[in-house]
Amino acid sequence: MSELQIIQETLARAARRRRVERGLRGLFVGTLVGALLWLIAIAVFKLAPISNEHLVWCGVTAAICPFIGFLIGFWRKSSLQETARWVDVKQNLRERMSTALEVAEKQPPGTWRDLVMHDAASHAQEIEPRKLVPFSFTKAARWAVLVLVLAVGLGLVPEYRSKAQVQKLADTKVIKEVGKQVAELTKRELAQRPPALEQTKKSLEAVSEIGERLEKLSLTRSEALKDLASATEKLKDELKQIAKDPALKKMEQAARSPSGRNAETAAGLQKQMDAMQKQLASQASNPEALEKLQKDVEKVKEAAKALASKSGESADAEKQKLSAALSALSQEAAQAGVQLPQLDEAIAALAANNTDRFMKDIEAALNDLDKLRDMKQKLEAMQAQAEKLGKDLAEQLKNGQAEAAADTLAKLAEKLKSANLSPEEMSKVLEEVSKALPEAKEYGKVSDLMKQAAQQMKSGDKPNASQSLADAAKELKDLMQQMNDAQAMMAALENLDKASMCVGQGQGWGQCQGKKPGYNPFGKNPGNGVGTWGEEGGDWVENYGEGTPYVDRSALNDRDQFGKSPSDRAQNDLTDKLQPTKVKGQFSPGGQMPSITLKGVSIKGTSKVAYEEAAAAAQSDAQSALSQEKVPRAYQGAVKDYFDDLKK
Amino acid sequence: MSTESQIQSFRDTYAALQAEIGKVIVGHTAIVENTLIALFGGGHVLLEGVPGLGKTLLIRTLGEVLDMPFNRIQFTPDLMPADILGTNLVMDTDAGKRAFEFQRGPIFAHLILADEINRATPKTQSAMLEAMQEKQVTAGGELRKLGEPFFVMATQNPIDQEGTYPLPEAQLDRFFFKIIVGYPSADELTEVINRTTTGTKTEVNKVLSREDLSELMKLVREVPVASHVKDYAVRLVLATHPKTDTAAPIANQYLRFGSSPRGAQTLILAGKVRALAQGRFNVSFEDLQSAALPALRHRLIPNFEAEAEGITTDHIIEQILRDVPVSAEAVGV
Repeated sequence: MSELQIIQETLARAARRRRVERGLRGLFVGTLVGALLWLIAIAVFKLAPISNEHLVWCGVTAAICPFIGFLIGFWRKSSLQETARWVDVKQNLRERMSTALEVAEKQPPGTWRDLVMHDAASHAQEIEPRKLVPFSFTKAARWAVLVLVLAVGLGLVPEYRSKAQVQKLADTKVIKEVGKQVAELTKRELAQRPPALEQTKKSLEAVSEIGERLEKLSLTRSEALKDLASATEKLKDELKQIAKDPALKKMEQAARSPSGRNAETAAGLQKQMDAMQKQLASQASNPEALEKLQKDVEKVKEAAKALASKSGESADAEKQKLSAALSALSQEAAQAGVQLPQLDEAIAALAANNTDRFMKDIEAALNDLDKLRDMKQKLEAMQAQAEKLGKDLAEQLKNGQAEAAADTLAKLAEKLKSANLSPEEMSKVLEEVSKALPEAKEYGKVSDLMKQAAQQMKSGDKPNASQSLADAAKELKDLMQQMNDAQAMMAALENLDKASMCVGQGQGWGQCQGKKPGYNPFGKNPGNGVGTWGEEGGDWVENYGEGTPYVDRSALNDRDQFGKSPSDRAQNDLTDKLQPTKVKGQFSPGGQMPSITLKGVSIKGTSKVAYEEAAAAAQSDAQSALSQEKVPRAYQGAVKDYFDDLKK
Repeated sequence: MSTESQIQSFRDTYAALQAEIGKVIVGHTAIVENTLIALFGGGHVLLEGVPGLGKTLLIRTLGEVLDMPFNRIQFTPDLMPADILGTNLVMDTDAGKRAFEFQRGPIFAHLILADEINRATPKTQSAMLEAMQEKQVTAGGELRKLGEPFFVMATQNPIDQEGTYPLPEAQLDRFFFKIIVGYPSADELTEVINRTTTGTKTEVNKVLSREDLSELMKLVREVPVASHVKDYAVRLVLATHPKTDTAAPIANQYLRFGSSPRGAQTLILAGKVRALAQGRFNVSFEDLQSAALPALRHRLIPNFEAEAEGITTDHIIEQILRDVPVSAEAVGV
């Protein structure tokens, strides 16, 4: 090995070791930086409400820091010349190595070159890279360990959170959950019932976006309520626009009645009934007989359970009795027209002492009886519904059975189309249409088309009359579609309302006492309220949300509809909990409290709604009013304090 | 003779010179060493110190150990340039006629001791300028070469400013080293008393001939210097230049003018001599650092602020040595 090679080899080994050592130093510094970052993050987390997400990010960054430090240290590769200069200083070689490398490169072989190389090589042989670059824990490593220990110690200290912070965190969680639910429910609604109108679709998508916004952004309660209130207002306005169509009112009223809700066509209903009757054809029994039979079988089952604990002769006697009872039951079922082969199998199992099998057969018999009874009940309900279905077009329109009416109109149009329609049949059609005209008045364009058809029939213009009736049927179907859109919007509105309630009360979607899920706006008594809201014949759209459903208006009657303030409730009527206490004014102590006289309804009697529910509803309304800046700025603080105190 | 044996000869000669001078000069090891470095570097030396510290003795001893012509010029206020350089005199020729003939002055020697050089007038001092740099003199309208090697070893007294003429910057810059001669220590002083107050007389031997000295001076110049070491010398000199990008903060504060390029040349040459003298074949940062004070102190011109605050050029150079890093790689960055 030449002298130059000796020098280069020594320097190369030193360079490699130095590179690793730099990497280790970087690792220690990175660890220290990461540990400090983590310590700061933990300290901040313990004192201030930073989100877990931020904490996780800090943790990830802190964990990455050592690797970055190592990479930064390890990345740079020193050249031999750099290493030579470093070794010269480190080993006090008086620039022997660096000069030797330079001389080897620049000077031709000769005396001076040889002398310098020889001198440097002799020193290079004495260099031990391990001693030259020892791997050891640096100051940074020791500090890093200390900081890590501190961070771990700090991690065990419980975090300090003020009430406001805790409330804010809970609010954020609730808002996110509510947002998620609103978005999911609206999307599901869009997927299951795609709206016919583009405007409705956009409105529902806007609601979905509001939900996503609540879910993704960290909003305060006020901001969330403001967003929800704004979306609700917008949706209400659009719903009002749809509701202006008088035809929808009729359909809406019909929809509230049990016969109108999910109104099936007569044909459809008949088809379902036929199918059920076919299934029950051999089971001619009435529900009472089935119920009696079921009770008897249950008695046998209980007796069989008791038998399991007995033995000896008494058990045999009981078994005989049980077998006889089962035979009697089998005969009774056959007489009632019910086929229960499981009873015979149970008798056989009892004879073979197979208790498990026996119990299974009894269970199967009971299940069959249950099913039979349910089917009977459904069939009866459907028969009742079928009786209520309009028999002709006039009745269908009167009852608001739009689908049935549309079918009838379509059938009449088809009749008119047929070439061999006799004048008698034509007059029958004309008669049915004419009879339905007064009922069709509330259906807008449908009425016009039917009138037109009647006139065309009178003038003998069958094809055009047929077309007019077909158009009327189509118009009715469009109205139904609009009705569906309105329903979808109502559902969205209901979700928004529940969301407002949840956010206002600070409760999760599950715990929040909003309107019942799947609330049907066409129901008899929408929501939980019992006042004028949603009264039969009332305007459901305009009344929606005007009053909170939690306010008990059960004691209202017509003569109390007018404002009477102050309340004439006698002091003695109050419960102990509601005895008034004097509260010192807070605005301007000693001065007069500002007051506003509100028109309201005085209520007598005992409330049927729990105080907590009413208070929560009032808080929600107050929050909503505050967020929409309906309360003057000067009173906002007082209103907020008042309703916050209600919680306590 | 091979380079290796030349180097060995250099070391031997250097050691012999130190030993011979040491017979006469007590202590002052660094001064002797710096004088020898200047000698092998081919430069002139200015020795500054109060009277009685052995400046003249040192140079006279050096003249004695070197086997080459040695002249001493005692500078006085009435000394004229011609007294140094020589002049044309009317002389009788062998043919019985009279003619002008140039009579060489004391400058025509290989080693000149210019004693108390600052006592001469600037006019006379200037007579030395050409000789010191060009190694030639112009007298009587004729250019006359001086012998090689040519050294001026000057002394000056920092006190007794009355009747003295400070050396002009141009002349100062021509000195390789300015060596400050300090007081001896107690032991050294005792030794001085012992040697000078008894009847024994110390004899010194001639160690180095003119030819050998010339050879060794050539050898010195062949010592290799790594680029980053040269770079350090350059950075040191540039750091003395006030109001420049490279200036050290202290230079900006206290210097009016920095070192000339001769400063960098001196650093490198002195480094080479020192390396060889210490048995190395290359120049180190330490060589340059040890030469920085004698090589640069007379080349820096302090400003009024420095003089008012009593800041010496030595203080400034020491601060610059601290401020200028040897090299980024060497310090492990």
